[in-house]
Amino acid sequence: MTTTTAVSSATAGPSADDTPAVRLEQVTKRFGSTTVVHEMNLDIRSGEFFSLLGPSGCGKTTTLRMIGGFADLSDGRILLGGTDVTGLPPNERDVNTVFQSYALFEHLNVLDNVAFGLRRKGADKKEARRRAAEALDLVQLGERAKARTRELSGGQKQRVALARALVNRPRVLLLDEPLAALDLKLRRQMQIELKQLQREVGITFVFVTHDQDEALTMSDRLAVMHDGRIEHCGTPEEVYERPATAFTANFIGTSNLMAGRYQDGAVVLAPGVSLAVGKRPGRADGTEVSVSIRPEKLWLSDHEPSMATCPGVLKETIYAGATTSYLVELAPDRTVTVLEQNTDRSRREERWANGEKLTVGFRPEHCLLLD
Amino acid sequence: MTLAPPSTRPRPAFSLRRRKVERRPRTAIAVTALFFVFLYLPIGVVTLFSFNSKKSLTDFGTPSLRWYKAFWDDPDLTGSVVTSLQVSTVAMIGSVVLGAALALGLVRARSRFGSLANLVMLVPLVTPEIVTGVGSLLLFRGLELTPSMGTLLVAETTFSISYVTVILRSRVSALNPEVEEAAMDLGASRLQALRLVTLPALFPALLASAMLVFALVFDDFVLAYFTSGVSPQPISVRIYSEIRFGIQPSINAVGTLMLLGSITLIALALAVPRLFGRKGSGLDLLSGG
Repeated sequence: MTTTTAVSSATAGPSADDTPAVRLEQVTKRFGSTTVVHEMNLDIRSGEFFSLLGPSGCGKTTTLRMIGGFADLSDGRILLGGTDVTGLPPNERDVNTVFQSYALFEHLNVLDNVAFGLRRKGADKKEARRRAAEALDLVQLGERAKARTRELSGGQKQRVALARALVNRPRVLLLDEPLAALDLKLRRQMQIELKQLQREVGITFVFVTHDQDEALTMSDRLAVMHDGRIEHCGTPEEVYERPATAFTANFIGTSNLMAGRYQDGAVVLAPGVSLAVGKRPGRADGTEVSVSIRPEKLWLSDHEPSMATCPGVLKETIYAGATTSYLVELAPDRTVTVLEQNTDRSRREERWANGEKLTVGFRPEHCLLLD
Repeated sequence: MTLAPPSTRPRPAFSLRRRKVERRPRTAIAVTALFFVFLYLPIGVVTLFSFNSKKSLTDFGTPSLRWYKAFWDDPDLTGSVVTSLQVSTVAMIGSVVLGAALALGLVRARSRFGSLANLVMLVPLVTPEIVTGVGSLLLFRGLELTPSMGTLLVAETTFSISYVTVILRSRVSALNPEVEEAAMDLGASRLQALRLVTLPALFPALLASAMLVFALVFDDFVLAYFTSGVSPQPISVRIYSEIRFGIQPSINAVGTLMLLGSITLIALALAVPRLFGRKGSGLDLLSGG
């Protein structure tokens, strides 16, 4: 099994012409005696949409704040476009931030909010306002230029915050859970818009989120963080399909994670119950492993003859509109979730009764063995 | 659906109780009326007798501006009003600057001294003013400073800082720290962020505390009595010393003019924030709105 070890190999040295937009070298942050970011190494490529994903308290926001210059580093270096910016104040870094609370200036109208950064950089009032108006058009808020910020809806405030940051054409745009305060429908819409906007302007986005769907759908690459460390860094597909750690497998999507013992191409879950996962070179017989398989990669019916199978007992059926989840017990304390699309269903019907014996089918290559 | 909608018809007992609650609270109205009479009657008397043609403080003759002219022609009295205005203005500016700085520091400093400084800051608010006055006098004497305009300004400014800080502290802690960070993120230095973002956000509170300090200092008597020099006395001290020789009705004129000044200030405080397009005014802060 080859896992992408982008974290450690990233600093091995890309060629000089594609200098990373952001480079973190051994970045460490301590608050008192607690370390919230551990010797983190990370390269974020120029022009990519990069997400820092993790549960609250994993250090993702602290990392973003260190890149923005709002938090000091306890150790390590941060480079922006190859230049060491460690210790520089925020106003001397070529980055801009979209804050979680939007942090709009309430005493200024929408246009002057957006023009603020340009004015600070010395643009005259007329020029700053002209470019601010263009930026507002970009986020489809051109008509609200004269409005007071408090008159705006959450989604509009979000766009103003975005325009206010983007108008400065920063090397990197930092976004700290910018969609967290929006309702679900608006959030989905903003996700698409944000991604399109990023492609349009070509600026590197570093996006902090705890929402795995958001990270998967928007990112070119993402880093899953846990306890101040990067667990896995890669493309959404790599992280989802081949998670490097049990934490990643569990945090991204849902996963059936079961402990067992590897024995001759199978994982023994309990006496007499095993999953035929196929030969895994390099894994010694008798070692303790965790086997992980996604619910949508298990079949209850329609499984092909070539698939591996394992008998089980149906415990629960959960109907959820587009899909149905079945909880199947393979062995005591070893229950898997099987997800089926309700493609052929026209009415609510139970195909199997709870307690019925059935067979779970899967492809050996979809089983992921984790230490 | 098994849940029946709740009955919309009010039950008789309910409507009876309702009528009882909505009866006019006569006692409360009477108490309120009395309160306002006691509050405004003396002010009304002063205003009325400032337009008296006679010298008497009890017998009203015909309306006249005689005592306003008497006030205007009395250089001692006008000098006292000017002194009070000067002291109030300087103390207002000084205490708002220092008090705002203290409020910012107290809210943002994560120092262990923060809570101690907070407590020390609140002490002047609860100390009897006579103690403050005597204490200040003894301090200035000990430092061999003769009571003068200077000592009065130092004392008034110092003891007004607490009011400013109390008003501003809650506003500062309500500020979103990300807003100042956003200003720096957009290229502002720390000082520019303070000037361009933080202070405008605090403007209503700054205005409110400035007005409060001006009013408090203008009519302060105790501290002024102990720390001011002989001439020209602040108007409060001046009025007090006149009582000993019998009150001149021109004092009524001064009182009425001060009242007019206060009303103008309040009107300004209501109007100015609106001119800047804000919903809240400085007065909302004072009245807890």
